[in-house]
Amino acid sequence: MAASISGYTFSSVCYHSANSNSDHEGFLLGEVRQEETISISDTQISSAELLQVVEVHNHEPCAQLFSFYNYAGLVNEENLNKILKERRKNVIGWYRFRRNTQQQMSFREQIIHKQLTQLLGVPDLVFLLFSFISTANNSTHALEYVLFRPSRSRYNQRVTLSIPNLGNTSQQEYKVSSVPNTSLNYAKVIKEHGAEFFDKDGVMKDIRTIFQVYSALQDKVQAVCGEVEQSERVKEKVQQEVNKLKQQIALRKQKNAEEERRILEAQNPEPLPTPEENTEPPETSLLSLVAFNTPSTPERPGPSANPPAYADLLSLQDNSLLPSSSSPTSAALLPRPQAVGSPGHPSPNPMGLGLGLSVGSNEDEDSSEYENLVSEVAQLPPVTINVLAQGRPASLSPDGDASARGSQT
Amino acid sequence: MNNMSPEVALNRISPELRPLLCSVVRNGRVGLDSTNCLRITDLKTGCTSLTPGPCCDRFKLHIPYAGETLKWDIIFNAQDPELPPDFIFGEDAEFLPEPSELPHLVQWDAEDPECLLQLVKELIQQYHQYQCHRLRESSRLLFEYDSLLEDPDYGRSLEIYAGHKNSWTGEFSARFLLKLPVDFSNIPVYLLKDTALDPGEDVALLFVSFEDAEATQVFPKLYLSPSIEHALGGSSALHIPAFPSGGCLIDYVPQVCQLLTNKVQYVIQGYHKRREYIAAFLSHFGMGVVEYDAEGFTKLTLLLMWKDFCVLVHVDLPLYFPRDQPTLTFQSVYHFTSSGQLYSQVQKSYPYSPRWDGNEMAKRAKPQFSATRQAFCSGLVIK
Repeated sequence: MAASISGYTFSSVCYHSANSNSDHEGFLLGEVRQEETISISDTQISSAELLQVVEVHNHEPCAQLFSFYNYAGLVNEENLNKILKERRKNVIGWYRFRRNTQQQMSFREQIIHKQLTQLLGVPDLVFLLFSFISTANNSTHALEYVLFRPSRSRYNQRVTLSIPNLGNTSQQEYKVSSVPNTSLNYAKVIKEHGAEFFDKDGVMKDIRTIFQVYSALQDKVQAVCGEVEQSERVKEKVQQEVNKLKQQIALRKQKNAEEERRILEAQNPEPLPTPEENTEPPETSLLSLVAFNTPSTPERPGPSANPPAYADLLSLQDNSLLPSSSSPTSAALLPRPQAVGSPGHPSPNPMGLGLGLSVGSNEDEDSSEYENLVSEVAQLPPVTINVLAQGRPASLSPDGDASARGSQT
Repeated sequence: MNNMSPEVALNRISPELRPLLCSVVRNGRVGLDSTNCLRITDLKTGCTSLTPGPCCDRFKLHIPYAGETLKWDIIFNAQDPELPPDFIFGEDAEFLPEPSELPHLVQWDAEDPECLLQLVKELIQQYHQYQCHRLRESSRLLFEYDSLLEDPDYGRSLEIYAGHKNSWTGEFSARFLLKLPVDFSNIPVYLLKDTALDPGEDVALLFVSFEDAEATQVFPKLYLSPSIEHALGGSSALHIPAFPSGGCLIDYVPQVCQLLTNKVQYVIQGYHKRREYIAAFLSHFGMGVVEYDAEGFTKLTLLLMWKDFCVLVHVDLPLYFPRDQPTLTFQSVYHFTSSGQLYSQVQKSYPYSPRWDGNEMAKRAKPQFSATRQAFCSGLVIK
């Protein structure tokens, strides 16, 4: 069993008691509740602990001694009702204040307690005893208090009474008591002025406003995330287009080189060594091109078992120069071997965090190739241009304004 | 504070409560051990510290009971002196008397100075019943109690204190305090101590301590009023037998009673015997009597003359006369010793029989005096 009393109730009882020039007594009002704590540990599945908590909310002092009992300690129920009136059902205990006496229930207190337990119908009625001890020279006065539950055995009668915030509060926060404020004046004032702070549901308006701001911010963040994702996907697509075009350029160069070689051969019958590097790409580039079009699984391009014939690739070259989609079958361009992790591989992150991934290091190398493609770019469908225009790395300025679209290439 | 005299304590009590405390402190004798008065200590007040004194209204009352001292807190309210007090029964937290059996509480009358004392006596009675109830924890000790209770001589004057030696562990023990039904009224007044100093009742209490529930360690003790102890020859003159192993109180107590009674009878008889002896010597020696103890009849001085030679004879009668033989001391009226004292000679052994009456002893004393006187005088001549 645990018990608590609010600081103001405790101080009120002390005030009444200390100002009386004799022993003083009264009743404690409050409620008793049961708390069940279920704990799970390694040793057992679960254990439930039931705790009875007594909360003292208020007190009802008696005007004088023997106000509800006689010399023999016999309780008079009529007088009891006169004192308690409608608060009888809220009685959870009673208290007594006596100076310079032991912290032990007296003979009459035990007699009265037994009767009160029966009359009030509270099996675990508590008794709070205040003792005021003064030293002989009145230099030190101690207020001692003990809470008893006399219904229990002799060695289990004392209950710890806690008073929230009575103690060292410098290192801990001020605890709000769970004891409700039953003051009528307080309720009246709150009712009168509460509308300025509380809405119809009893929730503080400020809280609701703050929550709305929070929700709005959350929505904005979600929207920006969506935009970033889209932007990244577009960028990815554009990257693929750029790679395709690069391949086309390389292929054209190669074609031109071969034509020149044929012309030279025709003019000069001496055999000329054929560059071997030109025979390797057809087999591997197709596969690498396939790999480019599936950005989520960038893998090292390897030679396939049955690579297509070079002539077939050449015949398909002109038809498939214009990148209509990103499907793997449209990859009629001569493949170009690329190492894993090259800047040409788009990032698998759907948010498009691969902001650093751009055309990157190949820019300088292939800048001359882009010059050749100028006429080619003009022939690209309008959609591609739009993609290019939108495909800039998404960046968030400090103000979070995603609508700012400065030119950045 | 704990050793303050009753008058000092009374002066600190609130004036409205003082009459009640007076009868407790001055006349308060409860229980069997009426030689010890009730005592109050630890006077405190229930008023604020600003209240001018004297305003003490709560104190500790020390009550002798069954060889122990009960310390009960009594709580009044000086601001409401007409209200009855409350009690805290010290270590006996489980003692809860029935209020309806305390008439002086139910009809408390603050105007009656004896009310508090009577209430305390009623509480002691309830406390006694409570202790007897606790004896049920040991069937052996309960038997002791029940057997004593059946005997009207002992059952009415019995105090019991039962319980464990300490609250948690310890053997169950009990103490019995019995008032022995011995008649001391015939003891000559002179034998008793100065009654002005000890005006209490003459009483003999037998205190028996059972240190375990099976009565294997039993220690009896006899307590006598100071006057009775003096009359019987002091604490060393009386020894009670040890408690027999396997014995019980209903057999042992009458034994002690008889022993004490015999002793008292012996002392009374001795007194009468001495008086008879002195009367006989007065009759036989008439004018030769110089002086005698007319109260206790323990001393007699005679002046004997033989051929103009005077000798003083002092006769000292012991407490347990006639069992113990009187001592004769012959003293010269002429001769001094080197230390300046009158020359004397003591004679303890001479023909004597305790069965002789006083007259017979006086008759036989004459030839004895003659024989001894001759030898005494011869001795003086030689010196």
